Amino acid sequence: MAAALARAGRQVVVVDGDLEGANLHTCVGVPSPRVSLADFVALREEDLAKLVVDTPIPNLRLLAGTQGNLGSAQPGHFRRVRLLQELRRLPCDFVLIDLGAGTHPAVIDYFLAGDEGVLVLTPEPTSVENAYSFLRAAFYRRLRLTLFAGSARRLVAQAMDQRNERGIRTPLDLLREIQALDPEEGQRFVASLREFRPRIVVNEVRTADEIKLGFAVKSVCQKYFGIEADYLGYVNHDDAARRSVLARRPLVESEPESDAAVYIARIARKLLAAAPARRSTAPLRRPEPR
Amino acid sequence: MKPLPEQDHYEVLEIAPGASAEEVERAYQVACTAYAEDSLATYSLFGDEDVRELRRRVEAAYRVLSDAVSRRDYDRALRGDQPEPPEISLELDPRLEARRALEPRLEAAPAPPPLEGFDEDSAADDTPCDGARLRRARMRRGLDLEQIAAITKINPSYLRWIEEERFDDLPAAVYVRGFVAAVARCVGLDPAAAAAGYLQRFEAVRAARKRARR
Repeated sequence: MAAALARAGRQVVVVDGDLEGANLHTCVGVPSPRVSLADFVALREEDLAKLVVDTPIPNLRLLAGTQGNLGSAQPGHFRRVRLLQELRRLPCDFVLIDLGAGTHPAVIDYFLAGDEGVLVLTPEPTSVENAYSFLRAAFYRRLRLTLFAGSARRLVAQAMDQRNERGIRTPLDLLREIQALDPEEGQRFVASLREFRPRIVVNEVRTADEIKLGFAVKSVCQKYFGIEADYLGYVNHDDAARRSVLARRPLVESEPESDAAVYIARIARKLLAAAPARRSTAPLRRPEPR
Repeated sequence: MKPLPEQDHYEVLEIAPGASAEEVERAYQVACTAYAEDSLATYSLFGDEDVRELRRRVEAAYRVLSDAVSRRDYDRALRGDQPEPPEISLELDPRLEARRALEPRLEAAPAPPPLEGFDEDSAADDTPCDGARLRRARMRRGLDLEQIAAITKINPSYLRWIEEERFDDLPAAVYVRGFVAAVARCVGLDPAAAAAGYLQRFEAVRAARKRARR
């Protein structure tokens, strides 16, 4: 995706936010980056721009995630806030952060802090389940950042435990409880829902029916969470993707005519079209400690 | 954000009150996929009873909104111009379910609209049509090869070989031209231009292989 945006003439920095399993450098043809995000996390470097390295692809630069602390790769709370601020200052048109799987608070914060949050899933139950777990975690964390009253925030914290004693099963149950507790907070809840618009990509599509999964997930997000997700696009299963990893080059560079590359380019065009309108002027409140 | 029982038919199908008949149909198809018995999309979020209730609501909404007279009465009732129309049965009709499973509407409408929000390939218009372009156009309309075969009556193997450009397995050019034109019509491409472009590649490759064998 980053390479597709770079091919469209935009200055792009791609960041490997998967610090526990950093390998993005390999995909963009930088075998051993001399500096990385780990230098920022370990306080060895304060200027993030100095950690960005060139890649063989024009317009595309990399902030690698290699050489992280094996015990605790992700930055602590305050360092994470600083990182998010510094990322916005990088001199480029787009910063893309590749996030690892899971619901670590750091991963959720990177997702929520972006102007766009793109969730990639595949047409398999395990992947769909993980996608919903992530959305649920992001949804509740966003709510906790939005609400002011301690009592309402405590309710959200209780709702995050799926076996909570108050019987809050769905976001709708939670809304009802918050509205009963504090109508003003209820309004904030609803406003927060309207602003939260994750984008969905279905990867590894093999049949036309699997393409429709994106629309179905969008509908389920509306019915379950009350949020308007966007179905950004799909990418088909394509052996060209494997060949590009083996060649250590982005797919849109190594085989731009392949089906998967065409679909990725289409998603990049949609992101480009949406970018100016959706760039936020008021970033989220800073993340709270875990 | 309303609980399901409080949502009107438009909210259930997630469409605007002024939605066209085509939008109603499209929304219904999406809902059928989303809330089907073995749907991936509801996996891990909704229980079986929740899904059954959703399907009942979707079915009731579709029955009202897909019929012009029922919809007009319902709209009046929504605006408060006339009393609420009689309650629509929320029970699923097994015959209707079975018929939908066979998707007969597809045969009646040979060129379904493209899936919402996905544009055509960039720069595809200036290059001759090939198998990959036919495949992408087909998937963009949410169609499998079997569905194209049902519409065009062309053997699914030929359809697959056309997309995979297995030119040696395909019959004579005159047949391939007809096949490609029929597929192109189905997937929203210009049939004449697609057939001409495809045949250009088909004949060039076949001629080259023939020369190589001599």
